[in-house]
Amino acid sequence: MTHLPLQILLAEDDDGHALLIERNLKRAGFINRIVRARDGREALDLVRAGAPAGTQFLLLLDINMPRIDGIEVLRQLKADPRTALMPVIMLTTTDDPREVERCYQLGCSIYITKPVRYEDFVEALKRLGLFLELVKLPSGPNSVAGADRQNP
Amino acid sequence: MPIPSGKLAEILDVAEDGIITVDSRQQIVLFNRGATKLFGYEPEEALGKSLDLLIPQKYLTTHRGDVETFARGPVISRAMGSRRTVTGQRKDGSEFPAEVTISKLAAGGEVLLTAIVRNAEERKKYEDALLRLNQELEERVRVRTAELAERNLLLTQKTEENEMFVYSVSHDLRSPLVNLEGFSEELHVAVQDVETLLTDPRLPADLTAKARGLLESGLKEPVGFIRTAVGRLSRIIDALLRLSRAGRVVYQPQILDMGAITRRVVDALRRTIEERKAEVVIGELPRAWGDPMAVEQVLANLIGNALNYLDPQRPCRIEVGSCSDGPNSARSYFVRDNGIGIPSAYFPKLFQTLQRLHPDKAPGEGIGLAIVRRVLERLGGTVRVESTPDVGTTFTFTLPAPAER
Repeated sequence: MTHLPLQILLAEDDDGHALLIERNLKRAGFINRIVRARDGREALDLVRAGAPAGTQFLLLLDINMPRIDGIEVLRQLKADPRTALMPVIMLTTTDDPREVERCYQLGCSIYITKPVRYEDFVEALKRLGLFLELVKLPSGPNSVAGADRQNP
Repeated sequence: MPIPSGKLAEILDVAEDGIITVDSRQQIVLFNRGATKLFGYEPEEALGKSLDLLIPQKYLTTHRGDVETFARGPVISRAMGSRRTVTGQRKDGSEFPAEVTISKLAAGGEVLLTAIVRNAEERKKYEDALLRLNQELEERVRVRTAELAERNLLLTQKTEENEMFVYSVSHDLRSPLVNLEGFSEELHVAVQDVETLLTDPRLPADLTAKARGLLESGLKEPVGFIRTAVGRLSRIIDALLRLSRAGRVVYQPQILDMGAITRRVVDALRRTIEERKAEVVIGELPRAWGDPMAVEQVLANLIGNALNYLDPQRPCRIEVGSCSDGPNSARSYFVRDNGIGIPSAYFPKLFQTLQRLHPDKAPGEGIGLAIVRRVLERLGGTVRVESTPDVGTTFTFTLPAPAER
């Protein structure tokens, strides 16, 4: 199985949220590799480890995480010229303007409020100009188990 | 008939007030018994002496000047006490405040000045007491005002703490709720997929029927209940978040074009208004002072409520108007409907959080009027309700008038 150059880095400490997001990504037609980070520290480590090999990440970034939270991850990425242009979608628990405002201030204008519907993903990716990576939406059964069978 | 001069002297002598006459050299020529009572000098001790005898040393120069000015001036008489405090000095050297009336009489080419002197100690005591009382009262008002301001501050802090608490609890509740929402949705999708699978004709009919039954009662129904409950939970938490936000969001007060704001709200509700065939009348609305988004939220809630609780028996009419008094008084606006109305027994609960009177009439979590009250409270306004069941409801709210600049 060959991996597309763009990988999805999912920084999310809640296993349930992570599983739901992965399922919805598949449902949205993504076949890109998904890498999971369980907190902000892991996410930053993965980004820095992947940089020399030229790995391109799309970062899905939860805000409330242990050790280093999403806001701090975003701040560090934006402060570093090597990672400042990395596409980031923030995952918020509420659409509280304060949370959103902090993301805007740090230079991330795209956020999705959980639970994530795959339509929201498609919309966010279009705004990022990343829709080229999408494969066709699966037809037939909607469950991820069904989708998996269609994309072996 | 003129009073004989002997009688006159007697009358003067028994008068309660001190009566003192001086000649043009300010020497005492008349000193009655009242004056003796006041000053402690017998008439023979005072007669022929200078008026200076009765004036404390420190006032001598001023007093003498005043008396001379009066003697030369055109004024015939005046009350000295009402102009300034006059101080007298007794024989024993003690001083007392005096009210003095002075009058001028030209007799035989000489100007005689007569002073009627009254001890003002009592009056002064009253005045001082009054002054003290006033000062005490002012002090008490000041202390009480400070206390109230402090209590107000405490209450505000308490409210803010509560809102912060509600905010963090709701925020924390959202995270597990995301799992409930997400995975009950996954279950729902899986049930649909299994249903589709069961239409496969290759499956034995008896098995399909059995599986369908299991699916229906064992999965579909429970999942349906879970999704409904989760949805409701989610809406309640969102409502609480909205309410706590209404208390925390930073306002940008400015002059408000209330007419424009109201028209914006009505435009946004256009579809509902048309659906319910409602008539919305917007009257003359004076400008107010506040945050435009917050006031829009208030009007949207009140007009939205009016649309939700209309009476199907009669054409719905909603009126937004103003009942302000003066140019500088607080602005007062109303949203009046002819809907189903609210029983007065429910008034105390009306603006409370998560309270719903007609849960069957419209969707909602019972947060709208709580937000209305909180927002107006923060903007320095008030809100009240008048209602008659089956006739209609009027919500009246106030906002500060625009600051003069």
